[in-house]
Amino acid sequence: MEILLCGGGIFVIVMLVIFFYLLNTARKKAPAAGAFGKKNFAPVYISLADKPMSILQGMNRLKAEVQRTETAGDKWRWIPMLIFFAGIGLALVDVLLLLLGYFSLVFTAGGVVLWIAAIVMARSIRRSDSLDFSPRYDNLKHILYTLRDDLRPGSTFLGHLDLTGSMLPTKVARSAKDTQNRTTNYYRDEWLALKAKLYDGNVLRVSAVQKSKKRASYTKRSRISGKYKLKPEKFKGSEQDLKVRIVVNPELYQIGTKPALRRGQNVGKYTITDFSTEGGIINLTASSPFEEVDHEHILNVIHSAYSLLERKAA
Amino acid sequence: MSKKIIPFVVAIVLSCLVMAVAGVFSFSGLITAEKFGDRLVWSQPYNTAESMKVIDLTGDGQDELFLQNTDNVSVLDGAGNSLWSFGYSSPKTTLGDVNKDGIEDIVVYYVGIGMSVDVISQGQVQPLAQALDVGFPSRVAVIRFTSGPQIVLGDNTGGVLSLGLDGQPRWNATVGSEEMRGMDDALIGGQPNVVIATHDGSIGVYDAQGNAIWTHSQEQLRRMRAFDLNGDGNSEVITGGEYGAFFIYSAVDGSVLFDKSLGQPISEIRTVELNGDPSSREVVVGGKEGGVWAFSFDGTAARQLWTGSLSDKVTEIAGLDIDQDGKEEAVLGDDSGQVAIFSADGSRHNLSSHSTGITRIDIGKLGGDRYVVIADGSQVSTNKVNFNSIPGFQFTPLLVGLILSGVMLVIAAILASIPPKPEMKVSFQDKSRESLEAERRMLKESIADVERLRKSGEMTGEAYLARLKRLRADLAENETAFKTAGFQIRVETFKCPNCGGTLELGMDKCEYCGQVTLS
Repeated sequence: MEILLCGGGIFVIVMLVIFFYLLNTARKKAPAAGAFGKKNFAPVYISLADKPMSILQGMNRLKAEVQRTETAGDKWRWIPMLIFFAGIGLALVDVLLLLLGYFSLVFTAGGVVLWIAAIVMARSIRRSDSLDFSPRYDNLKHILYTLRDDLRPGSTFLGHLDLTGSMLPTKVARSAKDTQNRTTNYYRDEWLALKAKLYDGNVLRVSAVQKSKKRASYTKRSRISGKYKLKPEKFKGSEQDLKVRIVVNPELYQIGTKPALRRGQNVGKYTITDFSTEGGIINLTASSPFEEVDHEHILNVIHSAYSLLERKAA
Repeated sequence: MSKKIIPFVVAIVLSCLVMAVAGVFSFSGLITAEKFGDRLVWSQPYNTAESMKVIDLTGDGQDELFLQNTDNVSVLDGAGNSLWSFGYSSPKTTLGDVNKDGIEDIVVYYVGIGMSVDVISQGQVQPLAQALDVGFPSRVAVIRFTSGPQIVLGDNTGGVLSLGLDGQPRWNATVGSEEMRGMDDALIGGQPNVVIATHDGSIGVYDAQGNAIWTHSQEQLRRMRAFDLNGDGNSEVITGGEYGAFFIYSAVDGSVLFDKSLGQPISEIRTVELNGDPSSREVVVGGKEGGVWAFSFDGTAARQLWTGSLSDKVTEIAGLDIDQDGKEEAVLGDDSGQVAIFSADGSRHNLSSHSTGITRIDIGKLGGDRYVVIADGSQVSTNKVNFNSIPGFQFTPLLVGLILSGVMLVIAAILASIPPKPEMKVSFQDKSRESLEAERRMLKESIADVERLRKSGEMTGEAYLARLKRLRADLAENETAFKTAGFQIRVETFKCPNCGGTLELGMDKCEYCGQVTLS
């Protein structure tokens, strides 16, 4: 009797675990927040070497394909749950037989196989789930769309959009240790690099970098209990750097003698931290304490750099 | 292979496996839905029957129920009514036609005037012998020797006294020094002899004159029975030891035909025709701790058929073909009152349990119907045992297999309908020469930037290598695009043969994995 109760208890627990696993699959959840409460986004990496409209069409197509896969998965989301209940139905046939005095495990075995099939299907459907696209994805689209007519005919945008994550191990630029021997990692994520030959002969380079700082986890001995405790990693902050470089076409432009920009000047969410105009090249660096910066602000900084140019008289 | 085909291939392979397994289970006969049930017909109070037998004791062609306990000998008719009942002091009984009237009589060996023997024939008590030179009653048997039947009495100190049917002593013997644990007739060359065993482990086979044919001593034993298991005219003597020794001896010379240690005291041994093959009888053995074993003996060797268990000491074993398939089922009772049926394959089916320990079980016709008669500590009851099965149930694995196969194919169809997730690393590349060259310049600028960052200390270690690896891979893709478009290009990259990372031509060591390269 004890064996029967124990076995039955284990069976019910396994059944409940499977049920809640499948229920989680059936009810599509909002993507879980990643580390430090930040939302996780789809890890997209795009190499850019094409005309603006081709890039925009490609980006739209990628998004649509991801959406199509997800929609197709959504359509069958409840099927594993139905298969699970079918498995319970089969197992209940054995229960019915037991009530009639017959002992059988044939239908229960079939039900268990159905549950395994339901789990396999649920896992496959979960694989069709995808994370949302980062707002930076759309930001790039807006930037490319805005600059589409400024591109020299026949030329292409060059560069990349890297949304694979700002704090990957491969993006640790350097590490430092403090006086307590705690390691702090400095991340450098150049999520956008863009180069374009413009219609007026200038060459525009834009580079957006997110710099993050994170203290690695470490063990510490408690002064009271003497036990070692694992302290979790801690996010220490991040900032956005935007570098704009314009190689000026000397036949068409000259750089103004009284620059309209100064260090410390705010341009949207950015603050100008450095700029130079030596050798006919405008180098402008702006930084922002915000984690996310919209495309308008990036375009504003580009526009501000462009405002340093004066058209030569014909 | 197309990704849409793979789920179907997997589903079909799994379906075939499932159907194969289902087929094996269906056609091997392993899957059955059977149940045994019992219905109480009647019961009568009777305390702790030591001996019980369904047998015709009146000569009317109808069986009666003979019962004996420590102070009473009774016979009930087929409906449970008492035909006669006699009080005795410490009786031991056996059944046999002593007065040669063709009707079985009851021989009672009891403490009366000294040690006495009575014969009860059709309810009439006839004293046969009194003040016998034998000890306290332990066992009695009517042995039909070739020279004529004898009543063999065994006492609780190993003493044996044989009486003729006239009550006169014929011979005596001593077997060991403790109480009798078995007394049976044993055939040798088709001629009956008597085999006697005592608790101290002494075994002896004696002829009609009381001559020992052979004697043997083993570990203390709890049970001894003799059967001609293979019908060759020579009996086998089966003993169960106090410490689990199970022996099968030849009644001819006492040689050991089979032995096995069962790990617990053996409390009961009976033969049951489990396999339906009349050329051999199967032996079912019960243990003091509830163990149940079935052996088959073919005259030369025994083999274990199955094992099972009850929850307490096995007190009685009987055989009955309940499901009418030509094979007997073993009906076992234990000391906790549980009664169970073990079928030919060893599967156990419980019958109604009793409130006190089972003492005896017998099977026979009472009042025209075949009943299982069960005696426990307080009563004797007759039960109608029935068997039910669901016809065609053996094919249910095929049905379940078909359901599973169908579900798997549906799942495969659904998974095949879901388009594959697109690659999240994409490249939008214009194939014109001008564009490819611009991209190449951009990549080289980026590589130079990374080198500059490394030199300035802004980017170190893994991040530098990871970024460089990606840029060089893009450069290699660019070179491939050049070649695909048919443009001339001076190749500047190669792949590390170890890690596959893209390296600049001329490098003699992979920066990513440390592999020495010759380019």
